[in-house]
Amino acid sequence: CRSKESIRCYSVFPKHYTKPIFRKEEQDELVTNEKFQAATYLSFKPACIDETSSEFYDPLVSKFINYLIKQGKKSSARYLLERAFLSIKMIQLQAYNSCDSNDKEKIELDPKVILRNAVENAKPVMELTQIKRAGQVYKVPIPIDSRRSRLLAIRWLIQAAKEKTRTDFLYDRLAHELIQAHNNQGRTIKKKQELYKQCQANKSYAHFRW
Amino acid sequence: MSMFMYSKTYFFKPKIVNFIPLRSIKAKVPNTFVNEVDKDGFRILELFPTKIKKTVKYQKSIPIFTGREQKMPVDQDWPTVWPSQKTFQPHSVPLPVRQGYPKPGEGPFSKIANTELMKIPNFLHLTPPAIKRHCEALKQFCTEWPKELDSDAKCTEHFPLEVLYSDYCYSGPSIRDPLSRIITFKVKLSSLKLDYHAKDKILRLAGNRYDYTSDIITIITDRCPMRKQNYDYATYLLIALYHESWRKEDWENEKALADMEYYDWEKNQSKKNLVTIYAWPEIPQDFNYAHIPHAEEYKVAVSELINNGEDEHSINKYKQVVKKLMFFKPEKNHSTESE
Amino acid sequence: MNLFNRFILRIKKSTNLRNTSSFAETMELSDEILPSIYTRETDPVYHNESHLNKLYNIPSKDCATILSHGLMNQYKIQLKIFNEMSILIRKPSIELLSYLSKSDYAKPVNKYVIYGECGSGKSTLLYHLLHYGYNTNKIIVYVNHAQYWFTKPKEIKYSEIERNIIDLPIDTRIWLDKFKLLNNHILCQANIKLSKSYKWGTGANFPKDSSLIDLINFGIDQTRYASEIVAALVNELKQASRIGLCNVLVLIDNYNIFFSHYTQIKNSLKKFALTSEFSLTQNFLEITKSDWCNGQIIVTVDTAVNKDRQESHLPRYLLTKEGFEHLDPFLPINVENYSEDEFYTMIDYYKHKKLIRSLTSNGEKELKLLSGYNPYKLMDLCKHL
Repeated sequence: CRSKESIRCYSVFPKHYTKPIFRKEEQDELVTNEKFQAATYLSFKPACIDETSSEFYDPLVSKFINYLIKQGKKSSARYLLERAFLSIKMIQLQAYNSCDSNDKEKIELDPKVILRNAVENAKPVMELTQIKRAGQVYKVPIPIDSRRSRLLAIRWLIQAAKEKTRTDFLYDRLAHELIQAHNNQGRTIKKKQELYKQCQANKSYAHFRW
Repeated sequence: MSMFMYSKTYFFKPKIVNFIPLRSIKAKVPNTFVNEVDKDGFRILELFPTKIKKTVKYQKSIPIFTGREQKMPVDQDWPTVWPSQKTFQPHSVPLPVRQGYPKPGEGPFSKIANTELMKIPNFLHLTPPAIKRHCEALKQFCTEWPKELDSDAKCTEHFPLEVLYSDYCYSGPSIRDPLSRIITFKVKLSSLKLDYHAKDKILRLAGNRYDYTSDIITIITDRCPMRKQNYDYATYLLIALYHESWRKEDWENEKALADMEYYDWEKNQSKKNLVTIYAWPEIPQDFNYAHIPHAEEYKVAVSELINNGEDEHSINKYKQVVKKLMFFKPEKNHSTESE
Repeated sequence: MNLFNRFILRIKKSTNLRNTSSFAETMELSDEILPSIYTRETDPVYHNESHLNKLYNIPSKDCATILSHGLMNQYKIQLKIFNEMSILIRKPSIELLSYLSKSDYAKPVNKYVIYGECGSGKSTLLYHLLHYGYNTNKIIVYVNHAQYWFTKPKEIKYSEIERNIIDLPIDTRIWLDKFKLLNNHILCQANIKLSKSYKWGTGANFPKDSSLIDLINFGIDQTRYASEIVAALVNELKQASRIGLCNVLVLIDNYNIFFSHYTQIKNSLKKFALTSEFSLTQNFLEITKSDWCNGQIIVTVDTAVNKDRQESHLPRYLLTKEGFEHLDPFLPINVENYSEDEFYTMIDYYKHKKLIRSLTSNGEKELKLLSGYNPYKLMDLCKHL
């Protein structure tokens, strides 16, 4: 009885409740869709606090913020990333103002685009897992799905920022790391390449997957 | 000794012979004693005799005890059944009352042996006919309501003092509640005859007992154990407050600027500031502001700003006046310059 | 007619020592194609209603002098991002500039109190006026970080002359240094002499008619006498402007801190000191008295500084009774949040400077709603877009 209660308390809403559609354009799309009639009979959960129909909402940004959280302090994590965006802007705008008019178009000024590119560049395709065969543990390269690769990319970016020298603030370090990853440089990209090298070395164990 | 003998004589030794099983064997024997005949005239042999059904003997039903409430006539005189306040009795009340926190899937508990119903105060003695009867009985002791007091406004005008106290109904052993001793006096300040000084003093004396929004002074007394004593004390307080506010002590003449109940521009630094600025570079001997243009307007604006509280409107008014007081070059020069 | 007049004014301006070079600056600017959000008029002296809702650039060569008193962090970031110091010309600043231009300098000083909500642009308005004072050759007494004197000073010293007075020697010296940087030109030009002799101890001896710059330099070199020298400086500035040697513009940001009861410093009796116990407070209260002429006093009041009083942004509440009595009569000037036009000007400016790149009409609506037209909040929201 107690365990039953604890399962019920875990989420206020039963399992058959579906995720909300909070973006305006998605809602408009749904209205024109055939599935609209079926959706009217569904029960929806309310939207989370970071899920807004705002113009400035970005799912990757809110994901990144969620990975940055420490001790449940979402507001400070949000401040950290927003401040990092400002630092990115400061760095890029200074470069933009100092360079020639021909090179100006090459400089990316949108911090969200930089973040997206950085995460995209840091995403690995495969990973090593430990598999036990005949009493021996082998590191076997396996392909990973997009969710896992995004998790690893964001985690590596944050780790790389935290590992840097502590003379300046974390948001500045994160900004530098993101810009470097955007340009396919930096610690995160190095880490990815090292992983690939290891995968290449353990190529012969690949059949242990089955 | 005799006991011992007795026990010895009846001593029983178990032997195997004594344990002969006495078991009756009931075999199902065909019933040959049936007299029934079938359609061809043969007797019917019942190999498995049908069981004779036992006729159930019904016990004589015991009459259930029904309460007095079942026998009550519908048109009975209720105030005679429940004449005064008392604890709930289930068999005197012909109502299907239920009370209590029900278990899941059940209804609330019925009225019999229900402590929840007994705990709460009931008002079964205060039915409308009972009240009506009480009122009828009391009528001979009452005087008629004055016709002139037909509205609430008139009541408050002629009887400005409002006395509040509470009585409490109890079904417990004591009929007294300690809260019933508290007396509250409410008087409108405008109903008291006060001059400027007295009004100022009564407000200072009353302190937070005076409510600015409703203009009412509230005196609450609860120090004495009896209501009568508290009432007397509140009356004394009100009288003392009134007369004390009319009295003017010697020390009241020493009222300084900080004790003022309103902002008086004439006595304040603001006036001195204005006069010294206009007299500059000389130091003014008397603070006469009659010669200063717009000084009167300025006085009004500053007093309003401080007395009525600060808001955008009063600040704006102050600004407009100060603009006139400021030292600007005459407009003429300005216009020629622009040409 | 008007143009002709302007021409005369220009010639007058060119005779001005400071502005000879700024003339060339305007020529330089005219070469570029300026977007419509800017105005070519970089001299606040000529700003009027026609320049409303437009931005003007403080010439880069003047920037270093004008910003000698330091900037708040948020302004520093903006300076980095925008690579220029530009100020929006708003209604209260035009109003104040018109008052300053037409005020009678032979009469006692006029006082202005700038008030408004948090982040509505009071300090920025002071920068505009600072530029005005700089361009009109005024001695500028500018205080912008007064709140830090009472919360985290660099050094505390109980005064040698009066025991109950607290000196902040290093902070005072820093202020003197900045004051000298800001006014070096004018001080050299005006050549103010001391009106009486000063003597503190054996080394510090200034006879009558010695130069004011020497006094300031002495205060910068000898930190322990800095507080006394600021008092003397205030006295001398008042005296000099009374005679007509110089024109003084007093600009004090967060003036209500001088009437706050909240400090983090203990006095000689081991109790938290009041702000009135500091020598610096007394000096700057002295200069805001109206017993001198040939000057202007402009102060701002802000809720963010005073921890005791934060319910309202109105001047009488923030100044308290003492402050009101000290300043009265003053002209209150309200700095409101952005109007619709100003909002769009700023959005265009941010777009021009690439702080934000593309913004739909819905995004603009959202920014309006979130910021409530508050300048600081708008900047804060645009920072990470």
